[in-house]
Amino acid sequence: MRDGALIPWLLAGVPLLGALASLAVWSNPDRLKLSSIIWSVITLGVIVGFSSRLETPAESLLPLYLLPLAAAVSVLGQPVHEDHRLSWVMTLVCLGLGVGTLTGRDVSGQLFLMALFVSIVVLLYHHHTVLWPISWWGIGLFGLGVVCVGISIAAGPSLSSVATLLTCAILLPLVPFHDGYLTALTRLPGSLPSFIVLLLPVVGLHGLSTVMPTVPDVVSWTVSLFALMGALYGAVKAMAQSRVRLMLAYGSLSFFSMLWWFAAAMRTATPRAALLVGAIGLATSGLLIAWQVIRTRYGDDVDPQAISGLASGMPQYAVLLSLLALAAMGLPPFGVFAGFMGLLLTSPFPSSAGLVINLIAWLAASWYIMQMVQRLLFGARRLELRYTDLLRTELASLLIIVLVLLTLGLAPATLFAPDQTASATHSVTGSFVWNR
Amino acid sequence: MEPVITSPDIETRRMELRGVVKLAGEIIAQYWPMRTFVHHNPLHSLEYLPFEETVRRGKQFMGGNGYLSGHLYRDYLKSGRIQSRHLDDALKPLIHDKHVVIGSRKATHGEVLRACLTDGLCAPVVEPLDDQLPDPSNELIDRIAARLESVLCFPDLHERIRSIAEGDQASLGQWLTLSHWCDDTLGTQIVRQINDQLIKWCEAFLDEGHAAWAMPEREKGLYGAWKTLAAQEWSLFGIEDSRRKISQLPEYPEDALLESLDALGIPSHLRQDYLSLQLTALPGWAGFIKWRGEERDYPWQQAYPAGLVKFLAIRLWYARELVQKACRDELGIEGRYDAVTAYMRAHSGEYYLRRQRVAGRLPALYAEEVDRLSHQKGNGWGMVLDRYRTEVVPRQEAAARRGAVRKLLALARSLDIDTAQLAECSPANLKQLVDWMEAFPESDHGPVWLKAFEAGYRERLLGQLRERASETNQTAPTRPYSQSIYCIDVRSEPFRRHLESVGLHETYGFAGFFAAFIRYRAWGKDHDTEQFPVIMRAKNEVREIPRSYLDHKVSKHEARAKWVHAGHTLLHDLKENVVTPYVMVESLGWFYGLPIFGKTLLPSLYQRWTSWLRHLFVPSLATTLTVDKLAPAETAEMLDAEQQAIVREALHERVGLRGSRITPALVEGLRQRSLTGQGDPEPPLIEEAARAGLSLEIVNALVETLRRQYDLNARAASRHKERITRTGFTLDEQTLTVDTALRMMGLTKNFARLVLFCAHGSTSDNNPYESALDCGACGGNEGKPNARVLAMMANNQKVRERLTKTGIKIPSDTHFLAGQMDTTTDEVQLVDLEDVPPTHRADLARLQEDLKEAAELTSQERCGRFPEVRQSLEGKKAEAYVRRRSVDWSQVRPEWGLSSNASFLIGRRELTKGLDLGGRVFLHSYDYREDPSNRLLEVLLTAPQVVAQWINMEHYFSAVDNEVYGSGSKIYHNVVGRVGIMSGPWSDLRLGLARQTVMNGDVPYHEPMRLLTVVEAPRMRIEKLIARHEVLQHLYHNEWVHLVALDPEDRVWYRYRSNGEWSPVSDPPQEEHIHI
Repeated sequence: MRDGALIPWLLAGVPLLGALASLAVWSNPDRLKLSSIIWSVITLGVIVGFSSRLETPAESLLPLYLLPLAAAVSVLGQPVHEDHRLSWVMTLVCLGLGVGTLTGRDVSGQLFLMALFVSIVVLLYHHHTVLWPISWWGIGLFGLGVVCVGISIAAGPSLSSVATLLTCAILLPLVPFHDGYLTALTRLPGSLPSFIVLLLPVVGLHGLSTVMPTVPDVVSWTVSLFALMGALYGAVKAMAQSRVRLMLAYGSLSFFSMLWWFAAAMRTATPRAALLVGAIGLATSGLLIAWQVIRTRYGDDVDPQAISGLASGMPQYAVLLSLLALAAMGLPPFGVFAGFMGLLLTSPFPSSAGLVINLIAWLAASWYIMQMVQRLLFGARRLELRYTDLLRTELASLLIIVLVLLTLGLAPATLFAPDQTASATHSVTGSFVWNR
Repeated sequence: MEPVITSPDIETRRMELRGVVKLAGEIIAQYWPMRTFVHHNPLHSLEYLPFEETVRRGKQFMGGNGYLSGHLYRDYLKSGRIQSRHLDDALKPLIHDKHVVIGSRKATHGEVLRACLTDGLCAPVVEPLDDQLPDPSNELIDRIAARLESVLCFPDLHERIRSIAEGDQASLGQWLTLSHWCDDTLGTQIVRQINDQLIKWCEAFLDEGHAAWAMPEREKGLYGAWKTLAAQEWSLFGIEDSRRKISQLPEYPEDALLESLDALGIPSHLRQDYLSLQLTALPGWAGFIKWRGEERDYPWQQAYPAGLVKFLAIRLWYARELVQKACRDELGIEGRYDAVTAYMRAHSGEYYLRRQRVAGRLPALYAEEVDRLSHQKGNGWGMVLDRYRTEVVPRQEAAARRGAVRKLLALARSLDIDTAQLAECSPANLKQLVDWMEAFPESDHGPVWLKAFEAGYRERLLGQLRERASETNQTAPTRPYSQSIYCIDVRSEPFRRHLESVGLHETYGFAGFFAAFIRYRAWGKDHDTEQFPVIMRAKNEVREIPRSYLDHKVSKHEARAKWVHAGHTLLHDLKENVVTPYVMVESLGWFYGLPIFGKTLLPSLYQRWTSWLRHLFVPSLATTLTVDKLAPAETAEMLDAEQQAIVREALHERVGLRGSRITPALVEGLRQRSLTGQGDPEPPLIEEAARAGLSLEIVNALVETLRRQYDLNARAASRHKERITRTGFTLDEQTLTVDTALRMMGLTKNFARLVLFCAHGSTSDNNPYESALDCGACGGNEGKPNARVLAMMANNQKVRERLTKTGIKIPSDTHFLAGQMDTTTDEVQLVDLEDVPPTHRADLARLQEDLKEAAELTSQERCGRFPEVRQSLEGKKAEAYVRRRSVDWSQVRPEWGLSSNASFLIGRRELTKGLDLGGRVFLHSYDYREDPSNRLLEVLLTAPQVVAQWINMEHYFSAVDNEVYGSGSKIYHNVVGRVGIMSGPWSDLRLGLARQTVMNGDVPYHEPMRLLTVVEAPRMRIEKLIARHEVLQHLYHNEWVHLVALDPEDRVWYRYRSNGEWSPVSDPPQEEHIHI
């Protein structure tokens, strides 16, 4: 038992140790990047090694496996540049804190989460600009997250439950507590957005799995309502965006809101929910890395309007971006589709209208994501642009994400949570009657 | 806004406006309907300007490129198609005698310019602000950029903003409409919105029987119909109260247009340019309306008038409303010229930021800030601009310096200079190099490349001709087996070459309408075709009629043809009706499976089978043409017969009389009464009517009906008579036609026993561009009627007798034949063979055999040019292959058509006989010795050459910018209104040629070059003609056409320069091998 209590600290310690070790090669960006990737991979190895000794949470261990993977590919997809050093080290730090939150028991997990919030607040504050005043909202919400975590540690069960739910809403974005997530995705530097987009939601889902069964019906109903609003709001906002990162942030908000709706209906977070969150996070992470590829070539501040014709100039990129887009909009055979269909077939529907709204939001994703892809890949080839196809590291990064998404979509559900699948399947057969 | 003018000078203002619109329309070319596709220069109206200037205008107004892209020219250079020495020659005028020292190496101005051309160093690359791609040169770049910092200065941001704002103020109205300005500044989509509306209305209004439901109210004209219908539409694009506004527009389109121009505040001196810009927004529809407006006799135009004034009245109304709305909503100013220019002056910083935002040139955070300020109508523009100046501008300048260094590094590599030496070079020298490169941007390379490109072809062609000219020796003429005359079309050249190679056949080239300017009506057709170049007019009409000995079969044939027609109509109506398609799909849908599978899987067999079936049901009848003019008595008789038929029809339809009750006396009486139309009916008519049971009232009513509804009155009869008298040619006209044709082609002696006038047509399936493959000289129709007309005239003994008097003695054993070559299958079909004398059977058989062999050889040669054909095909296989292409409904390129045309040669066949000219030369036979008065050459230079130049330019512009001047890919084409094609369901009427016609994949099949005219004639004569004709001055002096002459007096080749001087053509260096 004593050994079991130390495991979270050990798992969290590996990437944190990696972050410290990476500081030793701070002056050499090349080696720093390599070090960050290696420590992420080591973390993954350690997690896999200790997985049998870890207590399996309700949402399964899938998020835990995905986190170091996302950290590694996020760093891998970055160009070697001194400006990105902080983001690589902070990716390891956030990975450590995230793993600690997911595996930590009782207060230790909460402390890791608090540290994660604080780290993000510090980073956002560091990268704040007057031209982006709404990032104060994001910082404020993460501050609220710190407070909520504190309350959930200190307060009684009912208040603690509400505080945990709020924390989850900040992490796994739920309207109107989504600004922190949006700000983190749009303002954090380098590899962090593409990692954070998975980290925050899976941490939120972890909290959700413990808090949802305890919340009263009225809260659950309210969450349902917010979730539906969020699904529509996210989709509409995504359609109106001209900036890629904002579009992806709102798009993923829309998808995560769908998950909230399912979670509110089921009053728990199942492994299928984890599959959906992991797949959405990973697909969005892939698209963010793909966008980073553009920024690497055409500058951090490039306007997507100024880019077109990549299909002929960067064919490898075009293929991988298209696959990622298909995955992100929830088409088979990728993980988002599998997760969504899994929830759809195993959840009781509180209302048909809610289902219709979710389906509309899902369909809307085909519009805004494809529009972005079309705009970038097709259209006139611009003479004034230099087209350089993917570098090896970028190719590897995007390819890994596509393959993982494919695996998530094709792997049997029993792989992630063997003991819970049977009951879920049972519920499906009970809910649906196949009429010929 | 000025009030609507009600003063007495309104008519003057309308007239003035019509004049302005006419001038504004110069920039757009006419668009002929697709069924008579006419090759023309899309910038034809600007031919009075030099070629390069016109290309610039085309870019400004229509956004079209006038030259191939640099990388294509560079590929030509690599492949040897463009030669280095030609490039150097073309570059020479731009080179200054200057150099820069880099290390131990001298880089001359010429070397730098050449490197810019050959290595694409001056391509406009946008250097990113934060490029993070790993590059081993980064350190060197930073070092050199640091050296440049002191010399490479950029204007201050405020200065830049001021100059941009001033430039845009100057452009507004002249190069930029207010709608465009709003789109560029406010991110609106006004131009697209207006275009969508105009496409919708034009598509419906200009439909010529394609639409299942025709647009109502079209008889009111384009503007009237729009005004009536649009006033009932829902408000579009948020235009407030649009129904009321439209219904209250003035009745006259001129007034509406003036009102809109006044509302937009366009100054008078800018109105012409402003309207030009409006027209170039939709050059296809506007071009077709321009054509319709000028074709007053066109039946559709008479029924539903359209014109550019009407078009612009509609367009400008939308523009004024949408501009007003955008300016008020976004900027809080009036949507007027003066208000907008004032805004640019007073808020230049805000204007700059807005434009940069819309163009996607602002960094993300600034773009968001601009959006926020625009949305909240905030006042923080100054703050954002200040921040932009301090944060972004220095990064932009650093990026620009890095970009300049990258160019310098590329230049050094191109000149084989060690790049590290650049870091040692003085900043002044580096700056000099950068300046040279910047002063020669990629956009200026086109003219240089084009000259070098043309020089290669010119040198090769003239080399061939010179070689041939030196071989030509005068031998005693022998009588050939046959002489055949082909259209000057470039597709005739391979066929002529092969025919000459298989036997003792002489060939001649002549414009495919064979000097017969005719309106032609084929038997069984309801409409005439205009069988002459579109720049000409015809006064003679010719009809195809069944031969007299087949009279007994005519009615049966007609009845069957009617059944077939009725079947087609029924099927069409069933398909297009609102309800019937639902039933039809179920009941008859399967029937369509047969053609689908047949056409797809076995196209040749299916075509043969359907052709056999058609002939089985409606066998073809031998026909002849009404070449001879009718005598006055015959005309009167014909007129009477037609009028009597009308009366009989009316008696049957209106009164219900049948058979024997319709007596000749009654018919004649009614006819006469209808023609005179006054007083009471004559007693004999009253008696005849009474016998038929018709009262006087009925007779009077019937006469009135005949006069009004059946058009049987004196005026119509006179018109009809005049029309009948236009049918056929008088003997004088026939003699003149034959004389002119034979002299122009140089065929005045040594006639063979058979002389063939060979027209051309084409066969293709599912091809809206079908008529583009037919004869351009015949107005986009097949030339067979013209060949038949000329052959019939030339076979007329009376004509021959008269020709003898003019010096052309045609032997009595010479027979003129007519035929037509199918340019898709290379097959020659001879017609009117029953007129061939029995004595010529053997000659005919030999000719047919040789024509077949020549066709096979031609097919074989042409197959080698199709990209799908990987290996050469044998004669029969080639023949079968081209035939299959011609009936393949999925084939986007049944033949290459006139693509690859490059030159027009006016001279004797001796100059080109035996030369393989690759199907690229228009060959017009001409013997200067037969033209002492210079009259024939004058005709050739001012007519066929102009047509050839139009064809050449159509291909040129379609190849250099297929999206703007061509019609894009055929894959997306949809036929619209039976007049043209659109890309997809909603686009401008596409101009020019399809991509598949001129491009082979991404590489041009048609090498875009200006026409090279080669004339074998004394220079003095040519000079006189140039001095006499403005059109020739425009073509040669403005460099639309290059002219080379072989002066027979000294046998020297001369090139005519744009300054009007001749220069001898020098010999090409022997050692260089030219790949063309």
